[in-house]
Amino acid sequence: MKSRLAATGVLVLAAWALPYGLGGYTVHVVNIALIYALLAIGMGLAMGVSGQINLAQVAFFGVGAYAVAILTTHYGHGFWFSALLAVLATVVVGLFVGVPALRMQSHYLGIVTLGLALGFINWITNADITGGADGISGIPVPALPGVDLSSEYLYYYLEALVFGLALLFGLFVVHTSLGRRLRAMRDDALAAGAMGAEIPFLRMTAFLLASLYGGLAGVLYAGLIRYVAPETFSIANMFILLAMVIIGGRRSLVGCVVGAIGLTMVREWLSDFSTYAQLGYGVVVVLMVVFAPTGLAGVPARLRTLYERRRRAQQSSRAELRPFIPYEVEDRSARDGVLLSVEGVTQQFRGLRALDEVTLTVRKGEIRGVVGPNGSGKTTLFNVISGFYRATAGTVGFAGSDTTTARPYTLSLAGLARTFQNLRLFGQLTVRENVLVALDRTRTHTIWQYALWQPGVLTRERRLRAQADDILRRYGLADFAEADPSSLPYGIQRRIEIARAMAARPRLLLLDEPAAGLNGGEVQQLIRIVRSIRDSGTTVILIEHNMGLVMSLCEKVTVLSSGRVIAEGTPQEVVSAPEVIEAYLGDSDLAELDLDTPPSAARPDRAKEATP
Amino acid sequence: MQDTLQTLVSGLSLGAVYALVAMGFSLVYRTMGLVNFAHADIAMIGAYAASTFYLTSHLPFAVAMGLAIVITGAIGLVIERVLRPLENKDFDLMLIGTIGFGIVLQALAIIIWGTTGRAVPSPLDSAPLDVLGIRIRTYDLLVMAVAALAVVALAFFLSRTKRGAAMQAVAMDHEAATAVGIDVGRSNALAFAIGAGLAALAGGLVGPMLYVDASLGGALGIKGFAAAMLGGFGSIHGAVVGGIAIGVLDSYAAGHFQGYSVLVTFLVFTIAIMIRPMGIFGERTVSRA
Amino acid sequence: MKVSGADTVRRLTVEDLSVHYGGVRAVTSIGFTVEPGQSVGIIGANGAGKTSTLKALMGLVPRSSGRIRLGDHDLTRVKARDMVRHGIGYVPEGRHVFPGLTAEKNLLLGAYSRAWDEDTHRQLAEVYALFPVLEEMRERLAGALSGGQQQMLAIGRALMTRPRLLVLDEPSMGLSPKLVGSILDVLLKLREEGLSLLLVEQNAKLTFGVTNHCIVMENGEVAMNGTSAQLSHDPRVREVYLGL
Repeated sequence: MKSRLAATGVLVLAAWALPYGLGGYTVHVVNIALIYALLAIGMGLAMGVSGQINLAQVAFFGVGAYAVAILTTHYGHGFWFSALLAVLATVVVGLFVGVPALRMQSHYLGIVTLGLALGFINWITNADITGGADGISGIPVPALPGVDLSSEYLYYYLEALVFGLALLFGLFVVHTSLGRRLRAMRDDALAAGAMGAEIPFLRMTAFLLASLYGGLAGVLYAGLIRYVAPETFSIANMFILLAMVIIGGRRSLVGCVVGAIGLTMVREWLSDFSTYAQLGYGVVVVLMVVFAPTGLAGVPARLRTLYERRRRAQQSSRAELRPFIPYEVEDRSARDGVLLSVEGVTQQFRGLRALDEVTLTVRKGEIRGVVGPNGSGKTTLFNVISGFYRATAGTVGFAGSDTTTARPYTLSLAGLARTFQNLRLFGQLTVRENVLVALDRTRTHTIWQYALWQPGVLTRERRLRAQADDILRRYGLADFAEADPSSLPYGIQRRIEIARAMAARPRLLLLDEPAAGLNGGEVQQLIRIVRSIRDSGTTVILIEHNMGLVMSLCEKVTVLSSGRVIAEGTPQEVVSAPEVIEAYLGDSDLAELDLDTPPSAARPDRAKEATP
Repeated sequence: MQDTLQTLVSGLSLGAVYALVAMGFSLVYRTMGLVNFAHADIAMIGAYAASTFYLTSHLPFAVAMGLAIVITGAIGLVIERVLRPLENKDFDLMLIGTIGFGIVLQALAIIIWGTTGRAVPSPLDSAPLDVLGIRIRTYDLLVMAVAALAVVALAFFLSRTKRGAAMQAVAMDHEAATAVGIDVGRSNALAFAIGAGLAALAGGLVGPMLYVDASLGGALGIKGFAAAMLGGFGSIHGAVVGGIAIGVLDSYAAGHFQGYSVLVTFLVFTIAIMIRPMGIFGERTVSRA
Repeated sequence: MKVSGADTVRRLTVEDLSVHYGGVRAVTSIGFTVEPGQSVGIIGANGAGKTSTLKALMGLVPRSSGRIRLGDHDLTRVKARDMVRHGIGYVPEGRHVFPGLTAEKNLLLGAYSRAWDEDTHRQLAEVYALFPVLEEMRERLAGALSGGQQQMLAIGRALMTRPRLLVLDEPSMGLSPKLVGSILDVLLKLREEGLSLLLVEQNAKLTFGVTNHCIVMENGEVAMNGTSAQLSHDPRVREVYLGL
């Protein structure tokens, strides 16, 4: 921490001293570089942090610059007032461009945003108000009492100040609640939704941030050059900007800045060979994408992993999975009534009827097992309950209200949490951040705090971190708080998923094959964890293949086969039902071969066998 | 009425070119799930190559076109080979990788052919036809005929030949395709080469219609992509319908909004695609949440 | 259906086959042999590692260890796409037909590694004789067929590769008992014609009916091993399934 502060101090000093050693033209280049750096931060926030392919950043830049130009020259407003309106206008345009993100992602979004950028370029090249291909000249010098901003040296300080604040704000966003949620959405939008992240709002927020930075850059550009023309905002420049972000490292704002400043400098030095330089960026982008997708910013982390791997080979890591600390037992009298009711739910996928009039009622405080052969519709049922699929027919009621058409995040906020069959941890977030995403129940609309009351964000952040550490300790994961989940053994990842789901303090927890891939000892621990979760007042439904686990854990079991409920009852009732045996083994004849051994008698031996 | 028909006809010929771009794009997308942003720049290289062989080497137009197709096919193979490690893995990275290739191809075009660009004379010098008062340039007819031929040829290849069937099989289920002995890598490379060849065909044909320079890909490509999206990503007949739709829309916008035609085209396109993100013939849903 | 191949010494031997996915162990050191003309079943509950075993055998997932031999040929390093050329036909779990192609195209693609000629059409006729319903549906898109028809199509496609050994992964999955019965009939017919079968199934009854020999898998390992006749009377099989 101290070294980081010192480094920041040195950087600030260097930034302050920089113009003293530079010639007039170099300062101009530095000023341009800072503007590109601002643009790159916006791009990084949308693309690297939030995963929204935004190829309209250069248009946001243009809206900001042209708005200042038009407001000052046509309407005679002052520079600063125009600047304020210009940033607002850019944000409005940004939100508009972001609307398609609600309906489409990835390359679709890339093409739509690129198309809109092209439309913008088309407009500025042809409209009268933008001066057509000639652009607009005669933008006034920003007036600041006592400071002549027509001097590029002094303008540098203005830019450096804006840039410094903007970078700080960007980093603040990335490392606190909002940014964490944006990153979670980038890594896995489905899982983030299931953790209560309001995906549509977050997508718009990503575009809001991108356009905010684009607008700021545009305003500074207009004040610096005092002339705007279409070629500055071309698609070619859009791709150069993209190259900056990719080469620097799209997931790190500092990387984006380094990429932007570095590439602007290189571009300037090679301005006599600009075509060859362009060839160079293209080749570097391709190489980066294939060999170093995290960009320059990712290089230190890669070296560190390499170094640590070598060190770990010598001395074994001290981190270990500790035992689970059970929850306090809740008063049993609070458990009464129905928590979940699924009625006549049918789910049709083109030719396939995955669920066929499934009816299921789960009471508060139950541990319910859902079993059935492969392809019997178990996970589909979970997806319907948790709002991922909308049932073709039938209704789902949760906690007293009809949730048939509710979105996953609404259900999460109403107290439903789930895990996934094929682990869906947020791969680029640490274990603690994974838990924090679910723990953080503040809504996206509280982002006004980011603009007006930053200390509020920080206080909340401190409180959440303490809670997250409590949860990690309870689940024995404290040693892995800073680890990257994908580097951990499978059994630990499974446990992180449960910890993450429980961080949301749900009333109903859906576990999709929690024992898959676990060894015998881990299964025993899982049984303890699930029991304790129930005792803490959370109702549990679990899908499982491991019948031993279901037998020892569930009070009631529902058996699905070909999308229908074929049996429901205690585990003992269910395993002796001929329909169930037929569904599992193919024929009930086999069951008649030997029915003397009571199921419960065999169980303890197997459990012992499984524990190493 | 006459005006409307006139716009329709000029829209059709541009639409035919967009359809060719969209078709190559869709073929590659469908077989390997790769969104090739360099596709448009491949078309631009094709336009330059064809015009060079035609104007400088004085080869017949058809021969020039054939050579251009071969060259771009080879470029397609290179791109596929370099990005192969990312196939079926990181979609967004692959997308950016192809943008990188696009930057490279543009720079190469400037290095080879300079920045000034060139106008290509029409290989057909007969006078425009006059049908019911509508002027139809003979070259436009040629473009439409060649595009129609390409559609038929591609459809024949995909539906009637063993390799074509195998290519589709790979797209539908690459594991099952492997199990019947299909070499998935080679099939993908072939798809990419054909896609690039179609791009070159589009580029070569558009040469005499537009001005050929390094930024040709930008305009042609984004509209080609838009056509592919509108028709439904990965659908060949969708690409044709989408291409014609964008061409006609473009031509109407140019007639009614003059300078703002691109803006209008993309606003209309954005709204259309918002209403139906999977396009006209698309099946897969795109929004993942 | 005629099974080509006079060489009766083509025994499939699998030794020490293991599969890991990331850190998870799916299959641990499995070994078995399939004698020419014999059929072997691998049964077990969901998630026991049966499908992983087959996929590893076919080279569709990486093996962490294992040797595979077919007669005198070492297939350990043979690529998945070349397995058909060694006479191993594969019917994947969940059918995996090519949904957007017609039923007949699906079948023809089974013969991808050979030229499509007279001979191919003769073979096609044989498959249609085995599954008359496929001939009726030949021009339909495979994706529009019912589950049972898709299963027949997948088996037919594998037969078009001219296998000496047919590897089937859960052909009964999601089918009604009646359809399972007709799949059983077809497998019996193929066995009579001398084709070797390796059948992975959850449906133990079906498997015991078709195979000579069976392996029961549990947690990625061989839990039991014996002739199908013996195992069908062994109560422990049921315990393995129901986790008692």
